[in-house]
Amino acid sequence: MNKDWFVLLVLLPPLLAFLLMVAGRRILSKRMTSLFGVLSTGISLVFSLVLLVSSLRSGVSLPDWEFTWLTLDKKPIQFGVTLQPLNVLMLVIVSLVSFLVHIYSSGYMKDDERFTVFYSYLALFTFSMLGLVISPNLLQIYIFWELVGVCSFLLVGFWYFKPEAKRAAQKAFIVTRIGDIGLFIAIAMIFAKIGSFELHDLKGAIEAGKLSSGMITLFAILIFIGAVGKSGQFPLHTWLPDAMEGPTPVSALIHAATMVAAGVYLVANTFWLFQASSVAMDVIAYVGGFTAIFAATIGIAQTDIKRILAYSTVSQLGYMMLALGSVGYVAGVFHLMTHAFFKALLFLAAGAVIVSLHHEQDIRKMGGLWKKNKGLGWLFLIGCLSIAGIPPFSGFFSKDEILLSVYANGRYGLFIVGVIAAFLTAFYMFRLFFKVFAGSHEPKTARVPWSMTGPMIVLAILSAVAGFIQFPTHFLETWLITGGMKSLHGPESIAWIPVLAVIVSLLGISLAYLMYGVNKWDSRRVAQAVPWLHQCLVRKYYVDEMYHSLIVLPLKGFGWLLQVWDRYVIDGLVQLCGWISMRVGKIGSTLQNGQAQTYALISVVSFVILIVSLLAGRLFG
Amino acid sequence: MTWSQWLPTLITFSPLLGVLVIWMTPREKATLHRMMGIWATIPPLVLAWIMYSQFDSTYVGMQMKQAITWIQVATFWKISYSMGVDGLSMPLVFLTGLISTLAAVASFLIRERTKQYYSLFLLLEVGMLGVFLANNLFLFFIFFEITLVAAFFLVGIWGYFDKEKAANQFLLYNGLGSGFMLLAMIALFRLTGTLDYLEVQMWMQSKASPVSPTLLWIIFISLLVAFAIKLPIFPFHTWMLRMHVEAPTPIVMIHSGILLKMGAYGLLRFGVGWFGAYMKEIAYILIALGLINILYGAVLAFVQKELKRVLAYSSISHMGILLLGIASLTTIGLQGAIFQAVSHGLISALMFFIVGSLYERTKTTELDRLGGLARSMPVLSGILMVAGLALLGLPGLSGFISEFLAFLGLFQVHPEWAAVGSIGLVLAAVYTLRAVLKTTFGPIKDQWMGLEDIQIKEWLPMFILVGFIALIGVYPKLLEESIQVTLYQMVSKIGG
Repeated sequence: MNKDWFVLLVLLPPLLAFLLMVAGRRILSKRMTSLFGVLSTGISLVFSLVLLVSSLRSGVSLPDWEFTWLTLDKKPIQFGVTLQPLNVLMLVIVSLVSFLVHIYSSGYMKDDERFTVFYSYLALFTFSMLGLVISPNLLQIYIFWELVGVCSFLLVGFWYFKPEAKRAAQKAFIVTRIGDIGLFIAIAMIFAKIGSFELHDLKGAIEAGKLSSGMITLFAILIFIGAVGKSGQFPLHTWLPDAMEGPTPVSALIHAATMVAAGVYLVANTFWLFQASSVAMDVIAYVGGFTAIFAATIGIAQTDIKRILAYSTVSQLGYMMLALGSVGYVAGVFHLMTHAFFKALLFLAAGAVIVSLHHEQDIRKMGGLWKKNKGLGWLFLIGCLSIAGIPPFSGFFSKDEILLSVYANGRYGLFIVGVIAAFLTAFYMFRLFFKVFAGSHEPKTARVPWSMTGPMIVLAILSAVAGFIQFPTHFLETWLITGGMKSLHGPESIAWIPVLAVIVSLLGISLAYLMYGVNKWDSRRVAQAVPWLHQCLVRKYYVDEMYHSLIVLPLKGFGWLLQVWDRYVIDGLVQLCGWISMRVGKIGSTLQNGQAQTYALISVVSFVILIVSLLAGRLFG
Repeated sequence: MTWSQWLPTLITFSPLLGVLVIWMTPREKATLHRMMGIWATIPPLVLAWIMYSQFDSTYVGMQMKQAITWIQVATFWKISYSMGVDGLSMPLVFLTGLISTLAAVASFLIRERTKQYYSLFLLLEVGMLGVFLANNLFLFFIFFEITLVAAFFLVGIWGYFDKEKAANQFLLYNGLGSGFMLLAMIALFRLTGTLDYLEVQMWMQSKASPVSPTLLWIIFISLLVAFAIKLPIFPFHTWMLRMHVEAPTPIVMIHSGILLKMGAYGLLRFGVGWFGAYMKEIAYILIALGLINILYGAVLAFVQKELKRVLAYSSISHMGILLLGIASLTTIGLQGAIFQAVSHGLISALMFFIVGSLYERTKTTELDRLGGLARSMPVLSGILMVAGLALLGLPGLSGFISEFLAFLGLFQVHPEWAAVGSIGLVLAAVYTLRAVLKTTFGPIKDQWMGLEDIQIKEWLPMFILVGFIALIGVYPKLLEESIQVTLYQMVSKIGG
């Protein structure tokens, strides 16, 4: 059966929902809006699943199609769809999380007066993200890449009247755009070199040896710069924690499960390019590894519930990059998937915590929530266990695969970094958990509606069981690498690695328990013992301050300098010339004293010259 | 001889009909003038649409061409009245028709001496249409001068506080540009005996009689300077800053939307079309100037304290991108330049319309005094956001595809300089978001709480502009098809 048009059924419903909501912004009730939103993403989800089933069944990639969007220098530029296993997997992840977040938002945002605007942005985001993950060429990827970026910007700044939200939105856009320019340059250079944006043409050119190794490395690194921006890797990570100013469902959907993983997806999608350059692979592995541990250490000292999760996201994305840089293609993609589930769960649960504590986000003011809302406690706990890598939760399996690939790739230094980061992850996650849920304190809580609990339950189940698609049968791997990616088979498992991973995680949890669960060890004493380190972590290693004084201030200063130059030197010269010509004009004729006359003079002189020249022509000709 | 030959002439002079009618009305009936003024811009728009539908995108060279000998001196020198359209002018003619109509609607902001205003306004439209449809440099020059005179009075009489100075500087600079053009025209005429585009082009190809290259260089440089001032290219830009700040809203829409594009058109038509080989030799200088424009304009846009000045400097930056596209002298780059001319024309017209509507309500465009307007004016703020996103090159809107193509063309020949220029794309995001968010985001000041949102006469034209911006962004083929053939021919003649 020809399923070409199924893709349209995945893509179009959110787009239609967006257009409908923009047009009917004034007349749609909240009920209708959320109904449209949920329905449209529901349809997307259903047809994504249909595509998934048929991809699993046929074992080969589904038919792709394209149409001509533009002609450049006689070359048709295509727009189209590709449905390799990776694309289909991403479709399912995106439409699933988006569907759940749409349901959740109807509860979370119910009191906001710009409800319809919120849903319209969500719908536009879903459409763009779905478009991104089925793009067969770089130009199309870039277009959707920017569109998801702008949706993220709009949603971060959704509460536009808050100065922090305004700043965060602006920062999110600009910092990611710095990365995007890398991608932009890569795309343009690739086109200049091979005359096509199509990924398979690029792949063909590499396989045919048409590109020098220097070129390949350059392209790979430029593309990776784009991924660094989007996926919040060091040094462009600073926007992601600030993006937590957006509503929590947005943080779950965009800044945890889908968009920020787009960088990882991009690298995975062009993996053959990176594999052709060992330098590029090293760069990814080291940037990823460094980001993983760097963000994890910051996560320890933060006090805002959402910011802790944000640094955790940065750290986990670093993990995925580390995996990819160590040829752990399947491991990276697998972790992308499990992370989407458990991190979305954690964010939604954090949102529920925030709602039930009357919009409190500071964990120092929390505690004792377990007694009040056990259900929420369990959901949160599942997320924490999963991210900490405790079997049999999904995070355990994917993290194990990452550590395994790093080890098998011979990157022992980074392997140790990964293990330490795993310890830190377990520690800061359970610090958060105990801070919020443990303690004798009895907070006043608000009710969490079912529309919010339902999606969390689904995600909790997925977080708990999703690991089994890779264990014990390597089912995911077999599917993902169908079609010529045989070299990407994961390494044979090594028994001591998962054992080590679990031990360090348990150590992290125990330490968190002692410090924050039962308050055996006073955390403040630890902070006071090394105040400079604590301050350094609280201030996130001063990266923001550094950017401010090294980039923003010099740019402003330079701008003012140019302003003075433009106003007094350039314009001054002009004024001087004007003044001189006015003087000359005044000397030449006392009658001429206005602008109209000046103009008349110029015109008359012009026409005299013209006529004289014509006459001269007649005389001489 | 078919009827379509009359189209260029008809389009060009059709606004005069409105001038005649307006002259017959009493001087104090402002509303009537307004209605007449808007209606008078409809015929050229409709005719431009008919022209577009008649346009044969596979035809090489000028079509719908009409040529009548006009002034003849001896047998060698002759000037013909020749009009016609090709892929280069078609999009700009339509753009002119569209923006003129919308600017006529935006002219409700003009309250004094409406009779003269609309007469001059329509005269300005005649000049603009003529500039793009003329097939002869002499004719081009006359239409060019008409736009100058009309714009001068429109700014000088109906502008804001410092209008005289702005109008004067506009005149001084553009008069200087015209002087250069005149010089080039006379020299060229003495050499070739014709000013017809096609004939000059053929003469340039063959060079039947031996000519000193110095003289040709002088002619070329004169033309270049004339249009560099118009575009404007650094350091000839200060006049347009004043113009942007002081001109009344509808005129600044036209100025930034169309008049600046006449500079781009001149560079393409005469620079690339006639002197392609010479362009190639100074391509490096043009690239350098383009980069300066991009970065200089962007950095200055970032530190401006007033909305109109941000937009003025951003225009300089965007014209730098256009110049880079031209300087690449590749099909894709030139295509990008034309796209950029059209796209920036639409976007800046929209931007200045929004700013005009804003000023009507707040009586200030100082960024520090604005803020939080999204609360009291959600529709205006929403459109401003879309316009800002278009300005910073968001895919799906026209700004992206045009800038992308201009850069792509340069990447084909000088990737290193193109990469330097891409920094401008980051800066564009920086200054645009700063300006837009300072206006509409953040806490609202009490004094802006009671502002009324825009009305239909404002949002309808704005939506139309947004519609075209999105249409080109989503489906660029629409614009691309008509210009392809002309571009291939142009590039094939550049040689080197």
